[in-house]
Amino acid sequence: MKIGARELKVEKRPSLSGWHAALISIAALLVALLLFSILFIVSGVDPLEAYKGIISYAFLNQFGLPLTINRFIFLLLCTNAFIIPYRAGLWNIGMTGQLYMGALAVFGVLALLGARRNGAVAVPPLVVIPILLVVAAAGGAAYAAIAGGLKGKYNINEIVITMIMNFIAFWLVSFMIKEGGAFMGRGGEGESFQLPANINAPLIAGVPFTLFVALGLALLLNFMFARTKLGFQIRAYGKSPAAARYAGINPVRLPILVFALGGIMAGLAGYHYFAAVPGVYKITGNYGYYGDLAFYGIICGLIAMGNPIASIPVALLFGGLSIGGRYIQGKLHMSFGVDYALLGVLMITLVGFQYFYNNQIVLKSNRESSKEESLDVGVHSPES
Amino acid sequence: MHEELLAGRVRGSTVLELRGITKRYPGVVANDAIDFEMRAGEIHAILGENGAGKTTLMKIVYGLMQPDEGEIYVGGQKVKLQSPLDAIQLGIGMVHQNRKLVNAHTVMENIILGHPNAGRVLNLKRAEEEIDELCRRYGFSVDLKASVWQLSEGEKQVVEILKALHRGAKILILDEPTSALAPPETKKLLTSVEAMADDELAIIPFITHKLPIVLSTSHRITVLRRGRVIARVDTARATEQSLAREMVGREVMFQVERPVVETGKPVLQVEKLSALSSRGFMAVKDVSFTVREGEIFGIAGVSGNGQHELAEVLAGLRKAEAGKVTLDGTEITDALPIKRWQAGLGYIPSERNEVGSIGDFTLVENVAMNYYFDDTFTHRGIMDYGSIRKLTEDLIADYGVATPNADVKGKNLSGGNLQKIILARVLNRNPRLVIANLPTQGLDVGATEFVQNKLIEAKKNKAAVLLISEDLDEIMAISDWIAPMYEGEFMAIVSADNADREQIGAMMAGLRLERQEQ
Amino acid sequence: MWEFIARSLEASTIFTLAALGELLGQRSGILNVGIEGIMLFGATFGFMAAQNSDSYAVGFAVAILVGALLGSLHGFFSITLGVDQVVSGMGIWILGFGLTTFIGNPYTGPLGMDRIPTIAGFSPFFILSVVLVAVMWFVLAKTSLGLRIRSVGENPSVAEVSGINVARTRYMCVVVGGMLMGFAGAVYSLDYNPVWNYNFLMGWGFIALALVFFSLWNPWILLGGSLLFGFLWQLSLNPQLFLPGVFSRYIWRTVPFVITLLVLLVMSTKWFRAKWGSAKPEALGEPYVKG
Repeated sequence: MKIGARELKVEKRPSLSGWHAALISIAALLVALLLFSILFIVSGVDPLEAYKGIISYAFLNQFGLPLTINRFIFLLLCTNAFIIPYRAGLWNIGMTGQLYMGALAVFGVLALLGARRNGAVAVPPLVVIPILLVVAAAGGAAYAAIAGGLKGKYNINEIVITMIMNFIAFWLVSFMIKEGGAFMGRGGEGESFQLPANINAPLIAGVPFTLFVALGLALLLNFMFARTKLGFQIRAYGKSPAAARYAGINPVRLPILVFALGGIMAGLAGYHYFAAVPGVYKITGNYGYYGDLAFYGIICGLIAMGNPIASIPVALLFGGLSIGGRYIQGKLHMSFGVDYALLGVLMITLVGFQYFYNNQIVLKSNRESSKEESLDVGVHSPES
Repeated sequence: MHEELLAGRVRGSTVLELRGITKRYPGVVANDAIDFEMRAGEIHAILGENGAGKTTLMKIVYGLMQPDEGEIYVGGQKVKLQSPLDAIQLGIGMVHQNRKLVNAHTVMENIILGHPNAGRVLNLKRAEEEIDELCRRYGFSVDLKASVWQLSEGEKQVVEILKALHRGAKILILDEPTSALAPPETKKLLTSVEAMADDELAIIPFITHKLPIVLSTSHRITVLRRGRVIARVDTARATEQSLAREMVGREVMFQVERPVVETGKPVLQVEKLSALSSRGFMAVKDVSFTVREGEIFGIAGVSGNGQHELAEVLAGLRKAEAGKVTLDGTEITDALPIKRWQAGLGYIPSERNEVGSIGDFTLVENVAMNYYFDDTFTHRGIMDYGSIRKLTEDLIADYGVATPNADVKGKNLSGGNLQKIILARVLNRNPRLVIANLPTQGLDVGATEFVQNKLIEAKKNKAAVLLISEDLDEIMAISDWIAPMYEGEFMAIVSADNADREQIGAMMAGLRLERQEQ
Repeated sequence: MWEFIARSLEASTIFTLAALGELLGQRSGILNVGIEGIMLFGATFGFMAAQNSDSYAVGFAVAILVGALLGSLHGFFSITLGVDQVVSGMGIWILGFGLTTFIGNPYTGPLGMDRIPTIAGFSPFFILSVVLVAVMWFVLAKTSLGLRIRSVGENPSVAEVSGINVARTRYMCVVVGGMLMGFAGAVYSLDYNPVWNYNFLMGWGFIALALVFFSLWNPWILLGGSLLFGFLWQLSLNPQLFLPGVFSRYIWRTVPFVITLLVLLVMSTKWFRAKWGSAKPEALGEPYVKG
């Protein structure tokens, strides 16, 4: 496109700095919210009013804020469950199944300890709660590792595997909590038994302790990628499996490992939602809704560009958007699924903006462009 | 003998003319006001080193790229070539060095792909007749029903030529036509090329090395250097020395010193090794050899004869089907790659962009690829990036890698500089065994000499060096032992002192020598 | 019993149509993991259009059109912009999942139109799907167009230098593929199970995606796979017909998914590869940059 003596050109981006990445992500977010305004307008709602409602409920309201924080914890864990394999170039969209497995493991242990029969557990909470965290992580990790193994050993498309395993896990949860399943609550069909009150996750200033677990893990992951041998191996494999193999990285073990690590995060997310969120403390009948929320983790992970630190603000924002979206849906009498629709629009906009991670728009004068000097050291030899 | 031919041909009508072709990339002028003219029935070679601008010019003539300035005339008409389709329709055909064929498809499907008269519903019978006729006329033979992946490099080239001719090419561009051929195959190809020229086709071979072939076959030669036309001569008036001087811009020595080092213990011992190719056929068959301290063992072969698979088996990247490999007396036949690195292997892969380095990694991280598992650089799972940076900076200085700093990404380095980094980080480990797979492919003369000297230095430092190369001259120049490889087997293992170039060339094409010297 | 077989064939029709669309795209080198999303769009918009116009024809036409639009969206992202095909496909799936939940919600409930008549007991769509399989096979194997499509999927740079417009060929394939997926969705929501509710597909699209992998990119094997999975799916819904009392119904629901995994596993073993080779288009999933 020409503007006078200048020209607007699209170019390959030589490298992407953190700042540029953040700017692109913010731009994508703004465009998505702009696009979503159309849905508000079509529904007869003033978009500004709607966004104001979303933000003020999610972040400033005494009822909304705790909900946002709990969802943030859940999303942060799901996001990192996605990020770890993603940094190795692999797609884990099985957070849903893995978090179900984490939750089933938690309720399995509780059932073994007699929580379903007696409504209480004899072992002190200080012992039980750490055990629950460990089995939730182990349940998610084991389930995810299957997908990693099928990918690493047999090279089966991991998207298909993890998605299919989501459905298997979904029906397994139904099997366990419904129609006489082993974890069915005493009250009747459709829900698991209630967590004994003394086993409820401790609250710190009204917030489940899982907040610190999730934040701590995000920081730890960041350190892992930046400084450790394992992080180096994961990044190398993610950039080039062939080169990683050359460098001695085991192409079977690595996928299993990253999926297992991702599964730990997802399993903990399962613990969080079904055993730590105040007012829930059971596997609810509509558990499918929470499972589907895990897909937000994909979007958060992509926007954060696989960076665990960046995933913290992103997950917080998206937690707020989904809580606020659900709230104004009721308040403004909109159709069910505003939060889902927002999820979809955010995702597709983000996909479009992926383009700008590799390309940039530059404005340059015509004269310059004909004899421009390469700023890059890379003498991009045309002969290659 | 060419005087006569030339006299007849140059009077033929001009079929292709380039005027002032210029193409710029950021920082480089790949083609600088190139003029070129081509007549019917003429073989007009374009000669130049890697980086001289040949590829760019070829792409422009074939419509894969558009020049920034300049004009192209085909048959006297000014034309614009926006895509290969434009070029094809004007009768320009191209035979690519990295074969442009669909491996999974049959020869027939490849030849008729894109042909306007192939029929909505494919008319294979008619195509077969037409192709048979072409084969008869120019002396080609090929199985139309075979899948392309089953063919040798030479056969694939024939398919490409047939494809271009079948689409009615009158001007045929040949990109490094002899690079993947063994000497006898080359001879056969040249006969066909001359037959085509007799049929009034215009043929443009683009060639880097192999000056004798250019001298014996072409009518005219245009020499490119740094994007410019340096010389245009009648072949009859050119000599090997004059062409080499024009190409490189200085007198070239075609020789690197080959110092004699006292050889020591065997480092690599390979016994009856066999391995499959990725396609599942036996690519390495029963190969046995030994490489000792202080010697360079050169495997010469046309690509696709199993040398690549052999290198991968030794590096642990491909499974051995049978046989035994020992490194310093320890068996490593089935060892993981990481164990081999730790046991003293140093592998320089042929795919320097895809396997040898990671484009999105900085040079520090690229160097770390061969050190992250060493206790010196990793303590309790935490990497000491400070030390690795220091090492990288030292290597950059020692090897003269042209880069502003160690944080540049691998993909932003030129091929030669990237190869230097790979070489530096591997050799700095003081490996017992260096496997160098096509280490100088695609490098310019300076970088080639540098790499060869470094391999010789490694040999002086008592390493065992296994060199794999398609360039017989390189093998002859620096190896102590030479093993021509053909269809997965060593035809012989010959000491460099009594190696005969002709004979080794013949063995690369499958001639067996009943003389085992080692 | 006949009822069960007819339902199985109907179910397999949906798998066949959607997977055939995916197969076409993949043969041209474009992986679309967003099948489920396009099916949800086709099903929802087809449902709404049919109910509002009281016409099946309108419903199917809208579904096919929406499928074409999403196919071109995937093409725009992955061909024109060069975005990672997986990212783009995931985007389309999540968009479909999110947006149709919101847009379709007011339509929750049965379609309320007369059922589409059967032909000699068969769903007309089943017959159509078999015909389409035959057509797809013929086009891919026997025609010039098919050769071009296959070449673009195997090695786009070869196709380019042979004078073929890679981008245009790929666009055509993803758009036609999207139409088939949208149509498949509408067959679900207008014929197989004419009731709209939240996220009703529950994995049909992902099974269709898996079917393409184990069809070895051959339409006839694809048809066989779809028939098998149509039967399995129907069995998982009505296990009491064959094995009353064995397993909970929830366990039965996992069966098609578990079998999908097992089949993928067997197909990936060395033994199977050696016997059948890998027919995977070589350039599948890789963006193509000219030159």
